[in-house]
Amino acid sequence: MSKVILRGRDLHKSFRMGRDIVRVLRGSSIEVRDREFLVIMGASGSGKSTLLHILGALDLPDQGNVEFEGADLFEGGDRGRRVFRNRRVGFVFQFYHLLPELTVLENVLAPRLVGESGWSWFGARRKAAEDARGVIDRVGLAHRLRHRPRELSGGERQRVAIARALLNHPTLLLADEPTGNLDETTGGDVLNLLSELNASGQTIVMVTHDPKVASRAHRRMQLTEGILREVRDGVEPRGINPRATTKVVT
Amino acid sequence: MYKWLLAIRYLHTKLIAFFGIASVTLCVAMVLVVVSVMGGFLDTIRARARGLHSEIVVDCRSQQGFPYYDEFRAFLQDKMPGVIRLSTPAIYSYGIVRVPANKYTKFARILGIRLNEYVQVNDFGAELHYQHFYPGTTQLSPQQLPVAGVTEDGAIRLPTDLEAANAVWRRHAKDHLEEIREFDQQPFAACPYPYVTATQRGDRVYSVHYEPPAYLDAAHPGAIVGADVLFDRLPDGKFDRYLVRGALLSLTTQALSPAGTLTGEPPINIPVRYIDDSRTGIYEIDSTSVYVDFDLLQHKLAMDPQPLTEGGFTRHRTTQLLIGINPGIALDTARDAIAAAWQDFRASLGSEVSADDSMALSFVEVFTWEDLQRPFIAAVEKEKWLVTILFGLISGVAIVLIGCIFYMIVEKKTKDIGILKSLGASSSGISALFIFYAAAVGFTGAILGSALGTVFVWYINDVQDLLARLDPALRVWSPDIYSFDRIPNEVKRGDIVWIGLAAIVSSVVGSLLPATIAGRVWPVEALRYE
Repeated sequence: MSKVILRGRDLHKSFRMGRDIVRVLRGSSIEVRDREFLVIMGASGSGKSTLLHILGALDLPDQGNVEFEGADLFEGGDRGRRVFRNRRVGFVFQFYHLLPELTVLENVLAPRLVGESGWSWFGARRKAAEDARGVIDRVGLAHRLRHRPRELSGGERQRVAIARALLNHPTLLLADEPTGNLDETTGGDVLNLLSELNASGQTIVMVTHDPKVASRAHRRMQLTEGILREVRDGVEPRGINPRATTKVVT
Repeated sequence: MYKWLLAIRYLHTKLIAFFGIASVTLCVAMVLVVVSVMGGFLDTIRARARGLHSEIVVDCRSQQGFPYYDEFRAFLQDKMPGVIRLSTPAIYSYGIVRVPANKYTKFARILGIRLNEYVQVNDFGAELHYQHFYPGTTQLSPQQLPVAGVTEDGAIRLPTDLEAANAVWRRHAKDHLEEIREFDQQPFAACPYPYVTATQRGDRVYSVHYEPPAYLDAAHPGAIVGADVLFDRLPDGKFDRYLVRGALLSLTTQALSPAGTLTGEPPINIPVRYIDDSRTGIYEIDSTSVYVDFDLLQHKLAMDPQPLTEGGFTRHRTTQLLIGINPGIALDTARDAIAAAWQDFRASLGSEVSADDSMALSFVEVFTWEDLQRPFIAAVEKEKWLVTILFGLISGVAIVLIGCIFYMIVEKKTKDIGILKSLGASSSGISALFIFYAAAVGFTGAILGSALGTVFVWYINDVQDLLARLDPALRVWSPDIYSFDRIPNEVKRGDIVWIGLAAIVSSVVGSLLPATIAGRVWPVEALRYE
């Protein structure tokens, strides 16, 4: 069995919505193993994205901790989390989240542009451009280098987002409903691409509410009422309603 | 690196940025115009003030004048030959100028000068109208009325010496065809004399009598008149010289005794001929000054030797001694040396000086041209900074505007902030992105504003002339109010640089708060933002 690269323990997260407190995570724990394709399922509003954001150091849990390769993700402070986001993890979002002013090449280069300081960039830019062209080619968009996001289809935009996530060779790829905004065919293409990446050794954690999409994964987990449970093939987690969403405490 | 890349891209693609650029552009242009016009106003005052006076002025500060000025000139030449370039006396008096042809009268500051020396100690000679077109013909000596006539070959010509002088100007001005064309439209104004016929307007000479060219009528001393004393300014900035060169004028003034009392004589009338008009560019001077020969005025004002009841004569008197100094000598140093020489000179006079003369000599002080103009220049300097500060404060609105615009931009770009943070961007990096963006807006606005302001200042007089042609009431820079007839239209590079830098700094200051807010945006909140 491959080693655990990411481990979340007893994660709690609540949000205040007006006078209500919404308890999104209520003690969820998760382990992500190297090279695996893990899917987290759950109904809309169940807290899947929140969990993913915490695992990617985009958000902080109210309670619990996340270890990445044995080190606590939240002990390194803001700088540590920034480096983690820039170098060790890649994000793919449902709405692509590309920078509209930049070309495909520049969008894909963005993690390197962010990671390098002004002077070091001048030394690194040629290699960065080569790497960017390489990942763009890998997602099949070599002919779209100079195009702006608005000139691309939804599927192409998502491919650019995947290419951007891959540029710095992250240990972990976190995908938040990557096909949620695509038609079935295009979504299928994107899933194929993710499967290919996983087959070549890329660890992927994907969030989805679609069981068909989830079927591509090695392992599936279900988030219901703030608790994360593993799903065995053909067996629903016991004692929970798969449609249940987050519990509201007033 | 992403900060500059995105800042430049935002600049290109965000319409809202153009509002920021437009506000900076207008503010930069506004301040540049104000600073340039006021600075030019100040510089022109300095230059004109310098051109009006000699470097050093020995002034008696009292209207009856001071004696021994020729002796002091000789004393200076003897004691300070390396300092003194030239000195010339001048008398300042007051009276009334009258134009007999139309019975027009006006208050006048009457100056007695030795023209040949006077033009060597200041820039007076550079702006004499007829002297320009007829070099060497402007003299304060007695003169008749020059009238064009028909020559033997049937051509209409002025008297020979004027034609010859004009030919000299034409040779020198041969490359200035437009100036020659303008001159030929109206070289001499229509002459209001019964035996003179006006030819068609636009003929080179159109005041003509059908006899050979000649000088007519009695000779009277020449007078140079400030252009605004007699003539109105036309909307195109030129003067309506309705008087012919050589027309009769009458000056009325009053003499004072060495003791400063009226001499008891009736007011003095001095008939003169208008021989030229001067234009120093300072309205207060050009609208009041009439220049006549020094010896003539000295005589008429009884400032030449007058018999005393106890026997003997008073001494020649003048009100000023204008001194030109040699190049390379500091003004203040020269002034102090001449002031010391004056004290030595007074001491050398001993007891031969009369009580009235001694009193007059005690009034004498030595000034540099800057000393004489200092109160006026200081006031204009203060005015310049006051106006600049006021407009700078108004430009502070641009800072607030930039702040508002950037707040809106940050709101609009919240998702981008989230994306960048998800890629590892720091809060300070995000803040820097918006600060760079503001700097880029400020820089672009500074460039455009400098260009706009510079072009506007260059053509500010044309704009005013155009407005005045549409409606004379729209003339904003009136020579009746301001010292100069034209708005200063020079832009200094230094002004462009400091105003541009101030614009960039202001833009950055305006963006600080929104940039800080942008830096504090929590990435997850930003990514949720739609």
